[in-house]
Amino acid sequence: MSKMWVIARREFLTTITRKGYVFAVIGTPLLFGAIFGISFLTSGTLEESVKSRSEPIAVVDRSRTVDFDLAPTVETRDPAPPAAGMLEKAAAKPPRIVPYTDMTEAIRDLKEGKLSAVYLIESDYMTTGKIIAYSPEHGMFSDLASPDRSRLYDLIRASLIKGRIDGETRERILAPGKLKQMKVSKHGGVENGSDALQKAFRFFGPFSMFLLLTMSIFFSSGYLLQGIAEEKQNRVIEVIWASVEPMELLIGKMVGLGAAGLLQVAFYVGMFLLPAVAVFSLFQISTAGLALSFLYFVLGYILFAGLMAGTGILGSSPQESGQLSAFWTLLSMIPMFLLAPISEAPNSWLARGLSWFPLTAPVAMLLRITSGQIPWVDVGISVVTLATSIWLAIRGAAKMFRAAALMYGKRPGLGEVIRWLREA
Amino acid sequence: MPANLTAIALTSVRKTFRGVVAVEEASFEVERGEIFGLLGPNGAGKTTLLRLIMDIFRPDSGSIQVFGHPILSKDKERIGYLPEERGLYTRQKVQAVIEYLVQLKGVPQPQARVNTLFWLERLEMLDAKERKVLELSKGNQQKIQFIATVAANPEILLLDEPFSGLDPVNARALIQVIQELSAAGKTILLSTHQMNLVESLCRRVFMIHHGRQVLYGDLQAIQKAHSEKSVIVRSNANYSTCPFISQASANGRGTQIVLSEENQPRDLLAWLLESRAEVELFECAKTPLEDIFIRVAQR
Repeated sequence: MSKMWVIARREFLTTITRKGYVFAVIGTPLLFGAIFGISFLTSGTLEESVKSRSEPIAVVDRSRTVDFDLAPTVETRDPAPPAAGMLEKAAAKPPRIVPYTDMTEAIRDLKEGKLSAVYLIESDYMTTGKIIAYSPEHGMFSDLASPDRSRLYDLIRASLIKGRIDGETRERILAPGKLKQMKVSKHGGVENGSDALQKAFRFFGPFSMFLLLTMSIFFSSGYLLQGIAEEKQNRVIEVIWASVEPMELLIGKMVGLGAAGLLQVAFYVGMFLLPAVAVFSLFQISTAGLALSFLYFVLGYILFAGLMAGTGILGSSPQESGQLSAFWTLLSMIPMFLLAPISEAPNSWLARGLSWFPLTAPVAMLLRITSGQIPWVDVGISVVTLATSIWLAIRGAAKMFRAAALMYGKRPGLGEVIRWLREA
Repeated sequence: MPANLTAIALTSVRKTFRGVVAVEEASFEVERGEIFGLLGPNGAGKTTLLRLIMDIFRPDSGSIQVFGHPILSKDKERIGYLPEERGLYTRQKVQAVIEYLVQLKGVPQPQARVNTLFWLERLEMLDAKERKVLELSKGNQQKIQFIATVAANPEILLLDEPFSGLDPVNARALIQVIQELSAAGKTILLSTHQMNLVESLCRRVFMIHHGRQVLYGDLQAIQKAHSEKSVIVRSNANYSTCPFISQASANGRGTQIVLSEENQPRDLLAWLLESRAEVELFECAKTPLEDIFIRVAQR
């Protein structure tokens, strides 16, 4: 077995048995699960919050606009359109609307919990439309959902058109539309887009894949950085140097740790993404898209592994090496900070520019692949710039290895690094 | 010396770091099968020389040949290197670490395992094979490092301070192993401060100071060259009255006398005879290597 494979095998086995790796493989999906869980639990909390408001609302009508006799007819009609989602459905059972004449009394009952809200319709309502709502403090979501308010509006509308408009026209005024939402996929398919779970997965599915691939790039190249910094710190690098060439060591490490990264991705795909595709048919990424994602994962990993290795060898400790390499990580994560504009317009000049710049290309392209069709010219340009950068990064890293591997306790300056890159 | 008898040859090697000269005009040859001593004070350039030989550093000028040619990647498999800065994967098990380092010398895994177990037993470390390196004492870690160096069965051994951290018992065991390896035809380049060991193990030495060669050649010849003015005498003479003596000190066998620059041992002998002293022993002394080392280092 060549020395490169001996190194690759050891790096792979050492890495996949690390606690940090196991935590990353299992912990990352758990983290996503927790985010999903919190999201749904929060929805549940909101639902409960809305449901708990079974107390009536009070209306103090100083303008004498409201005909409270119409309240039962408004309350019995389901005001929530089918596509309105969970929140409105949760509030489908409307509260009773109770007329109050004395504002002080209404506020007192609100304080005592006998009412869920008090609405004061001012005497100049017809000219100003002014209504003041009083509600108890119910936490951060209390102001987001006020189905009782729509009930009041329905009652006001019904009161205003009473005796003037009847029949279907009256019904449409009171409920202008029952919205059903449809989604048109990139392949031309039309399907019901109203399901909340599907809506959530439609976004989180491709985004999760992008995020997992991106994280795997940085996890794997991070292991490389850490391994090299540790070998320098515990001086074992000199022993290895006496047996292998810098390039053999670098490539061996990259292959071994890349394999560990691929295993991580394979685990995610096998355990989470494939079942999601099979069960929910949630992904709208083509086979070409998946192949491109894999390509950019591999290219991105090799580039950042080379950069991390070249930087990691400069630090005098794993911590210092980590700090030095943060520059690459931050630079490469720029597309993440521009997530919204790139997702909304994956073929904008911003997105395309970031795809052509090698350091941001892997993350930008992975993100664009999940967001829409990409011109092949962008694929060509980004692959060429990435391949060139990889060649430069690995050559540079090998030079750094030879020059800086045995510099203990002192970090070379920028000028010295540039000189090494020129001379070595 | 014929090339086929030379294991390592350095010619006018120069190496600088950030403009500071680490090695200047270093030239020496190490014969196949010999134990060659590389001496010098701290910071003299010994470790740099070893790293240059291993192609870890590259010289600014001059040439380095190993096995009769500039070192190739493949040649590294035939050289075992024990660096002064010990380096092991401390969180891994002893046997796994040695096997990995031996495999990096091109030894197939099954043979690497056989060799590893042999050497662990040879240095009485077999019980530690499943322990993590960091659980071992410094001395035992040193033995593990030595095993990792020799277990690939290299033809040349570069040993940088191999006895540091070892107690006298383990140091003696290691000396015996080094002698056995030499007897088996291995070439050993020994860099150490322990002059008594150099005297007992090495036939030839190279001493470097401030990056420059200060001594090179046959150890006995060097000692003789530095001992012309030193004599061991056992007699009843009153040395304080002798005008030729610059220093006299008790020696286990008599008095060691260092003569003045302009005088020779025969002058002292003539003075002893003239002063009718009873002379039981008169011997030109060999200056201990340690004294030569200190004298050279203090220049």
